[in-house]
Order: sequence, then structure tokens, then C-alpha cells
Amino acid sequence: MLRYGYGGKVLRIDLTDRRYSVEDLDPSWIKPVIGGRAANTKRLYEELDPDCDPLGPDNILIFAIGPLTGTLLTASAYYTVTAKSPLTGILGDSAAGGQFAAEMKLTGFDQVIITGKADALLYLLITESGVEFVDCPEYKGLVITETTKAIRREQKDYSVQVAAIGPAGENQVLFSSIVSSGNRVNGRAGMGAVMGSKNLKAVAVRGALSVDVADPLAFLSEVEKMDKNILSHKEYEKRYHMGTTMLMKDLNNIGILPTRHFQEGVCTYVDEISGQKLARTYKVKNKSCFNCNVHCSRYYVVDDHEAEGPEFETLCSFTSRIGNHDLPLALEMNQYLNQVGMDSISTSEVIGWIMECQEKGLVHPEDLEGLSLTWGERDKIREVVDMIVFRRGVGDRLANGATKLSKDFSEEARKLVMQVKGLDVICGDPRGIKAYGLTYAVASRGADHLRAEPYFELTNRKEEAKKRFGTEKAADRLSEEGKAALVSYSEKIALLTDSLTMCKNVGLCMDVLNFENASALLRYGTGIDYSPDYLKKILADQISIDHKLNKKFGLKRKEDTLPERFQKEPLTEGPTKGSTVDIQRMVKEYYKIHKWEE
Amino acid sequence: MIRIDISKCTGCKKCETACAFFRSGRVNNRLARMKVLNLYETGLDGPVFCIQCKERYCLRCPEDAITEGSFGELIVSPTRCTLCGVCEKACPIGAIEIFNDIVYVCDLCGGRPQCIEACTEGAITYESDKRKSPSLEAFKKGTARMNPSQKRNSYLRKMGSSIRKSWRNKNA
Repeated sequence: MLRYGYGGKVLRIDLTDRRYSVEDLDPSWIKPVIGGRAANTKRLYEELDPDCDPLGPDNILIFAIGPLTGTLLTASAYYTVTAKSPLTGILGDSAAGGQFAAEMKLTGFDQVIITGKADALLYLLITESGVEFVDCPEYKGLVITETTKAIRREQKDYSVQVAAIGPAGENQVLFSSIVSSGNRVNGRAGMGAVMGSKNLKAVAVRGALSVDVADPLAFLSEVEKMDKNILSHKEYEKRYHMGTTMLMKDLNNIGILPTRHFQEGVCTYVDEISGQKLARTYKVKNKSCFNCNVHCSRYYVVDDHEAEGPEFETLCSFTSRIGNHDLPLALEMNQYLNQVGMDSISTSEVIGWIMECQEKGLVHPEDLEGLSLTWGERDKIREVVDMIVFRRGVGDRLANGATKLSKDFSEEARKLVMQVKGLDVICGDPRGIKAYGLTYAVASRGADHLRAEPYFELTNRKEEAKKRFGTEKAADRLSEEGKAALVSYSEKIALLTDSLTMCKNVGLCMDVLNFENASALLRYGTGIDYSPDYLKKILADQISIDHKLNKKFGLKRKEDTLPERFQKEPLTEGPTKGSTVDIQRMVKEYYKIHKWEE
Repeated sequence: MIRIDISKCTGCKKCETACAFFRSGRVNNRLARMKVLNLYETGLDGPVFCIQCKERYCLRCPEDAITEGSFGELIVSPTRCTLCGVCEKACPIGAIEIFNDIVYVCDLCGGRPQCIEACTEGAITYESDKRKSPSLEAFKKGTARMNPSQKRNSYLRKMGSSIRKSWRNKNA
């Protein structure tokens, strides 16, 4: 049976025996699951031994795309990688855009499930005809773009797309990433380390199959409606110009730009490190993911460095969050981290935590083999990042992440790790964005905004808030009221974007995707009948699977919380001055909406 | 003839997607009559098209299956073509490629190129003055043993080297 939208096949690869098998995508995985992240979580829930060693051969590493990936749908360029996280010990996954997903689509495999461990470093070449296991001992230590270049040269095909790990993944740094399309990153929860533990240097894809949708003209007309909303969006120009780096000033203006490790929310030197400055001074061109109208990514050249990016998270992580004034250093770090394959947020958290703890006398240089770090110290930052990548000296301990590192220290020091469930908090102070605070607390992979991305909270639409969430307060960033409703709406749209697949900046932040047009896109795309109500129901069911899976990993209700700082210490300056987060009130409401037991 | 300004290309592939979809109702870069490359280590992206070169290496088709249309576009006769691959080998920039027994080369969509409409960046334009046909002689050398993908890679790198220099100068 031809399944429109879907490739219709699942690929299973056993690295230990170097074998693979192909299964038809069972109908029970289609309509009620959709695909992408939802399919990966379900797979993990059904097939993973929850007690397995995340860095052992039994962990399951899954790549998935969705029914609309690589279609004419704008920004449909996403894929999700899922496994048990070595950083947190719970559900781990991370999505990325670029060109990888659209090419994976042409192989006909909607999901690629990788188990076992190769006896030597290899990469996988996946095409519509199957899998080639290619030994590549000479790629050891190779950075991301060099790996891509080498594979393309070897395969004599420059349309091959590659998702690879760099030295950090090979060394199993617990927050190492997978990088594709040069600089598009599956950054969070240590998916790179899982790949490294399997001796898998890269997954390369090249397909020859076509993407068929059920009703091409009706599908196209839905896409065109959405494109109109994107191109006429009031944030379009800003996003085109700066991408997510626009948030440096936007967040600073409302007093929530993490500065000196969340001790402050206003950065006095924001103009030196802003998206505006970056675009004006170092950007040389726009870059784009597959089939996107926004072109929000950028290429920059600075001194001896050039790369795509950075996104806001990396920019903030390596400027204000660690007290650094020097934009070129952040650009150098963006290139370096994306080449060695290491998550910028978790790297920054280790550094920022040490800086704050050393300033407060809670951690001494002699506790860290003589390492001393102070705010914005450029050469030291470079050096310590390098030590982490190669697990050199004390870098070997730092490579396990701030949460694990902090276990050697006092309770006071441990409390200063900005993390939830072992995953380091992203750049955005929840004291001034309460729905984000709730998202960090309940997100199934730990402190993360992308599980819901309740950007609505920042768009000041009171009437719309009343209509959608029953209270105007949902549009008030400083209020806890209505935020559980906002998050439980946004997390469904977020899961929808990850499952269709589509970019969250476009689908969710620009608010162009909703249950109505998603149903239409799915109907014309796959030929399967979807209604908005049905979509809401299955998305809620899938969110409950995340919750149940994490229970299997031993996660408790009390871990749905925020670091004490955000609950008890108000910010002292700026437009968020005086605010703290009443997290338990929001979590309670959120559990009530989900009908989960407390 | 199609003109490309790769300094404006973001690598989104909307042109390639529109190209394939217009002809087939499907999306697949192999069904497109031009191909976009993303050369990540250089920051360069760009579509490679038939640019209606002065030399017209492809017209040396032994079956006379390729002719020139009134806009200078290539017309491949499916009845005369024997899929011998001479045109694919002859093109110095990989603008002609055979896939599933069909010769894929830009034919200007019969006068309304979909790629130009799809590109939001102004990287693709149309030049009607046939006298402005560029020469590809300088790109021909060393391509005899290359497949179309390798030729596109080599062409885009050469075309991009001056752009990369200008990036450096801008920020010097």
C-alpha cells in the first residue's frame, strides 16, 4: 500500500553484528502517532530496557522524521534523535533542521533504529536500497564539516547529507551533540555521546525516492496560506535579519537575559553582544534550512573564524551568561563547539557554575586541580572548553556536566546548578517568563523550553489570551495565572511540529500552525482523515507516554520543579525586579489538566 | 538564460523543490532540472543550472537528440535519445544528469521558470540577451573523469572563491 507523506518503512540496524532489517511501518504507528519525536518516544517506551546503561550497547538510538518532512511545507526540515540520555538518565532527545531530514525522507525510512556497538569506528550510509557499514578509523578526531566533506568525497556525491559526531562525542562527553548540515545541531541531552559509545562516527543519507502527497494541489494551497502568514508576520524582518539572536536585546529589555549565571537579568553591555551588532558587523549572508521562507540562519566571518550561526542560546551562553563582553569570542566558541560537537548550553552551565561558586568561595581551585575561573576570562574559557572536549585533566570531571560535578561539593554549591532533572537550564530567566518556568519544570527531557515554547506569553495579546486560555493573565509574563493552560496548549503544538515535522520558530513562535491547518495539511498530505479534536486527543496521549516513560526511568513528581534561586531570590534590577516563580502552583494546575496523579 | 548570484543564495532549495514539483507533483532533488549544493565547510550554497554556455558541449549529441529552443533552452527528444550519456559527460558543470532513464536539464519551464518565482532572495534572474552567454571553457579542464555531482561541486567552489574573498575583505 502506498502511504502518502510517509516513506512507509522502518529501518533497524544492529551495529554489533553489522546487520540491518527493514519493516513496514505498521498502521498503528501512523494515524495515532503521526511520526517524528512522538514515534521515537513510543519506540523507546515499548522497546528500551529502562535500566540499561545509556552508554552501553543496549541503549537504542533512533532517528525519525515525519509525514510532512521534506514536502513543500515551509520549514519542514526537522528530524529528532532519541535515546536514553547519558546526561540525565531519563528520556533524551534533540531535534535539528538543515538538510539532513529532507534527504533522509528520500530513502523511504521514516524511522531508523540503531542498537548494539560497532567493534571499530564506522559510519552508516543509508540509501533507499539499504545500509552500508563503512569503516572509517581515519576519521577519528575529525571535526564535523571535515567528516561531511570526507564522506562526500569518498561517495563521490555532494548531495549526501551527514549527521556526525566530533571529538566530544567520541570522547563521550555527556553533553556532546550530533551535528548535521555543517552547523545544525541535535544539541541537548548527550545524543552525541550515545553515538560515540556505539563507535558510530556518522549517519549519512542519500535517497532517490520521491515525496508524494495525497492531494498535491490542495496541499500546496494550504502551504501557500501559511506562507502568506509567515511573510506578512510582524517579526519576519527581524527574524530574517537576526534569527533567534534578536532575543539578546528582546530578553534584556524585559530584564530576563541570563547574566553572570542568572545572578542578574539585565546585561549592561548588551549592545556589544547583541544580534544587531552581530548582523551589522560580522554576518556575510543569510542561511536557510530546507524549503524555508524565513532564512533566519546566518553565516559570519570574524578573524580566522567562520561558521553558520550562532543561535541565541549559544550566543547568550558564551556572552552574558558567563560575563563575557567579547562578541568575537562567542563566535569563535560557536564555531568550535559545533565542530567538536558539544552542547553550548550545558558547556556554559559548567563554566558559569564554577565561576559563581568560586566567586562565592564554595568551590576552590584546589578542588578542581588548580582550575580557577572568573567572569569573562577569555583565554581560560577557551582552555577549559578544550579540556572538556578531550576530557583532559579536570576536564574529565567537567565533561560529566554541572549536575554530576556538583555532587562532590556542598549543598549550597549544588543548589546553584541551574538544572532540572539533570538538564541545564536554557537562556531565559523564568522569573520574568512564568510559562517558560513551568515548561522547564515539567519538560520530559529536563529544563528545556522547546517542549512547549510558550512564546505567546511574550506577544502581549490579551484578548487572544482570554479566548484561548480563559484569562488575560496568560498574556502577562509575570503572572502564574493561566500558564498551565498555555503550556498544555503549546506543548501539543510543539509535539505536533516535532512530529509532522516543522520548525518551532516558524510553527510555534510565529504562531502559524494550529490544530485546524495541521489537520488539513495532514489530510492532504497523507490522505488520512484528521480532525482538530482527534489531533488534540492523540497529542495529549503521547505527552502522557513521555510521562509514563520517565516514571519507568524512576523519575518522581518532586523533580518537576525549578532551582531554588528562581523560586526564592528575586531579581534586583530591571523590568523583572522583585519577581519569583510560584512553581508549585503552576505544576499542580498542569497535573490537574493532564489528570495525572500528584 | 538563467543567471545565478550565489552570494545571495541561502541554500534553502526552494528553487529545486519548485522545479521538481512543477513537473512531477513530487519533491525529490533528482527530479529537479537544476541542483542545489550546500558546501558547509565553505559557507557557500548555490544552484547549478544550464547557463546556456557559448560552447554548447552538449549539442555534440551523437543522436542529435538535443536541440536549442527559441530562448536558447535545451530540448531533449525522448524518442531520439538513447541514454548514451555523452551530454552528461560533456557538460563541464554537471547541469545535465540522467536519472531513471530521463535526461534532466533546465528547459526554462517553457518560458516561465518556476525557480525564479520560488526564490525569495533574488539569487536567480533571467537574462534575455543571448549574446551574453558565458563561456565554460575555463571549467572544462579536469572534468573528464568526474560525475555530474563532482562537477557541480568543483564549479561551485570556483565560482564561490571570489565571494569568499569578498567576505574576508569586508571584515578585514
